[in-house]
Amino acid sequence: MTPRLLRPDQPLRLVDTYPPSAAARQAIIRVEDLSIVFDAPSGQVIAVDRVSLAVAQGEFVSIVGPSGCGKSTLLNAMAGLERPFGGQVLMAGEAMRKPRPEIGMVFQQPHLFPWKSVRRNIAHGPRALGKPKAEALRIADGLIEMIGLTRFASAYPHTLSGGMQQRVAIARALANQPSVLLMDEPFGALDAQTRAVMQDNLLELRERINATIVFVTHDIDEAILLSDRVLIMSAGPGRILRDLQVSLPRPRSSAIVAEAAYLALKRDCLDLIRSEGRRAFEQMEIKT
Amino acid sequence: MSVGRRSSATERLSVLVAVLSVPAFTGMWELVARSGIVNTVLFPPPSTVAVAVLEWIRSGQFFADLMASLARVAAGFAIGAAGGIVLGILTGRFRLVSSLLSPLFHILRPIPPIAFVPIVILWFGLSETGKLFLVVWGVFFTVWLATHIGVQKVDHGLIRAAQMLGTPQSQMLWEIVLLGALPYITVGLRTAVSISFYTLVAAELAGAFAGIVYRIEIAQQNMQTGQVMGGLAALGLLSFVADRSFAILAERAVWWR
Ligand SMILES: Nc1ncnc2c1ncn2[C@@H]1O[C@H](COP(=O)(O)OP(=O)(O)O)[C@@H](O)[C@H]1O
Ligand SMILES: [Mg+2]
Repeated sequence: MTPRLLRPDQPLRLVDTYPPSAAARQAIIRVEDLSIVFDAPSGQVIAVDRVSLAVAQGEFVSIVGPSGCGKSTLLNAMAGLERPFGGQVLMAGEAMRKPRPEIGMVFQQPHLFPWKSVRRNIAHGPRALGKPKAEALRIADGLIEMIGLTRFASAYPHTLSGGMQQRVAIARALANQPSVLLMDEPFGALDAQTRAVMQDNLLELRERINATIVFVTHDIDEAILLSDRVLIMSAGPGRILRDLQVSLPRPRSSAIVAEAAYLALKRDCLDLIRSEGRRAFEQMEIKT
Repeated sequence: MSVGRRSSATERLSVLVAVLSVPAFTGMWELVARSGIVNTVLFPPPSTVAVAVLEWIRSGQFFADLMASLARVAAGFAIGAAGGIVLGILTGRFRLVSSLLSPLFHILRPIPPIAFVPIVILWFGLSETGKLFLVVWGVFFTVWLATHIGVQKVDHGLIRAAQMLGTPQSQMLWEIVLLGALPYITVGLRTAVSISFYTLVAAELAGAFAGIVYRIEIAQQNMQTGQVMGGLAALGLLSFVADRSFAILAERAVWWR
């Protein structure tokens, strides 16, 4: 913004920003001053309010915040599904205007094509990108094996449990070998037990693929367990409140939730949210 | 136990009654017609109807009439349904196309297709084109509306998921949107099956040279009431078979359920 550049006490010094720092240079995702506004019957709703963030290549970043704080909207903008009102989203330096196959997305609901078998659902992306059928099916078979659903390859989605469907949705997103995987509360609709298994699966999966992952959740435990970094969003107009580094050793498993370092980090998060305001905190408690 | 036995006895009785229902009514009709209470010229007994139908079949006219009617219904249905699905997908998916066409379609749709008979005669005379036009007209609007609504009810999440996977626009329309709307479309198509028979009646009454309804009209002019009733029975049976087979087909069409 121009006013900042013209501040007399801080003369403009290009050397500060160029060459960029190591982290900034490797940033594959850049969200710059992003605002998203919806037209609602009651007037305009600011869902995302001037958010800036950067995610480095290969990083696993979680976005945490109470329901309705704009997490999905922010993620959809990164996916190119939502048009910025102000600011922009840069993926590998290019502005996102529409979805791109190298950006994968897993939604809260699996949204599998009900008329396609598991195998065909996963092969959909490669087929859509013009890969020959045999190759697309080979990719699908590999992923089916990885998610452990070989027995269900020709099953239709409605015959699978919620957890299995979500595994298929993840495999389907991975079939295009995305460099960035966006996940919007992917385990939010699952029961606690299935969710714990899925979290361990995702940790394992992450060791095998080298995608950058942005993971939205309202569950602090989940965020700390999975991430390298947790961004905490405030309620009301969606803003990033704090950026927390999670320097717990990897590989991790869901057993980590009992460790002291983990608990300290979680307390930090909760304190932060508490100080942010009663309303946000209470919503958070209900959800977690 | 006793409740179970009683209910199974009731069930058996009701099956028996159902099986005997049609023969019983036919028998009663035969008796009433032969008793002289009613005028048999206007109200012939079933046996007369059966003789008329047999004669109709033996003369070879039945097959010709059946084919003429079936061809009109099938062609009209196919054209009207195809047009309705294609335009329904386009108006359902694209705001601009909808703004252009929907107001027009909503004005034309409520006019009963039969009311178009006079103008169709003016335009097409007694040609096959005119009959086809009537059937197409009736089928089109029903299928269009069902498709248009179905497209708007397609799960938005499916469309977003497909977009994220790089699905090209044409595949989006003719796979994701079409199949997503299919449960609605099949309901529209089934309604359109009966509508195609209604409009067939109007089309053949307006003047034809063959067809089941045409045969009914000719028989009426010759006071062959048995033939008239035989024709009605044939039309009812045809329409019933078409509806049933379509229902079975529709169930298979949504194969993933
Ligand atoms: N399509 C939309 N139209 C109008 N308002 C919306 C729309 N999508 C989201 N919102 C509003 O934007 C805010 C943020 O929503 P969302 O991003 O879904 O939050 P979260 O994912 O954190 O629960 C909410 O107040 C929601 O009501
Ligand atoms: Mg959300």
